[in-house]
Amino acid sequence: MSIDTKFIGKTYPAYTYEVGKEKIKEYAKAIKNFDPHYLDDDFAKKSKYGAIIAPPTFAVVFGAYLIEPVFNDKELNLNMPMVVHGEQELEFLEVVKAGDAITTTAKIIDIKNKEKLDVVSVEIMSRNQHGKEVSRGIYTFVERK
Amino acid sequence: MAIEKGQTFTGSEKVDKYRPIYYAGASGDFNPIHIDPEFGKMVGLGGAILQGLCTLAFAAKTVTDWTGDPGKMKKIKCRFSAPVMMEDTISVEGTVTDVQAGRARVNLKVINQNGAEVLQKVEVEVEV
Repeated sequence: MSIDTKFIGKTYPAYTYEVGKEKIKEYAKAIKNFDPHYLDDDFAKKSKYGAIIAPPTFAVVFGAYLIEPVFNDKELNLNMPMVVHGEQELEFLEVVKAGDAITTTAKIIDIKNKEKLDVVSVEIMSRNQHGKEVSRGIYTFVERK
Repeated sequence: MAIEKGQTFTGSEKVDKYRPIYYAGASGDFNPIHIDPEFGKMVGLGGAILQGLCTLAFAAKTVTDWTGDPGKMKKIKCRFSAPVMMEDTISVEGTVTDVQAGRARVNLKVINQNGAEVLQKVEVEVEV
């Protein structure tokens, strides 16, 4: 069954994610990135950021809290075993630091029905506790039919 | 570091057998296509495949290693064009294609050990 295009424009409730220092370290190690900005407390303190910062792509960790409800959306009804990640776009506006509280919102911005697959694009936007936009992303998922 | 048009840099990463498990734990992406080879085969992927966002993180690391300041990377986008399997080696080659108005545009070529592009249309913007 094709994904109904009537869901273009659908939004999902905001989620506020608290960025933990140890979570940053766990993520950095998982992506085999041993940059001291993420892992070394002393280095981070002396850096221009003054604290442990998150790798830019950490945006997908707090972003995931808005992608999960899309995947679990009973109305949208994605056939998850047949879904693969097609494209990704990430824009970084502010550096994310350990201790930040990041609030993310999401919106379905496009749905395309093609012969052998459907495509759904979700836009996320994240702000920190100071109200500053930290990142934006567009996830494009492909559901094979 | 002065960033100029035509500058290049490289990086590479071996995808060890347990990488999708580590990435699942850190990112929350426990989709069975990434952590269960049998499930991956059943849905026609030939086994478990690495999370595309992990491949993208490897590509991004090449950029931030090159700039030395993770805060300089302002944008990255890509298309996931081929699955990355366990034991693959991912090589990244970056080329600065343009420097304008305080931003460098960088093109990344991201291939596996057979020369197949696993990410395509990889566009990066870096503050200069």
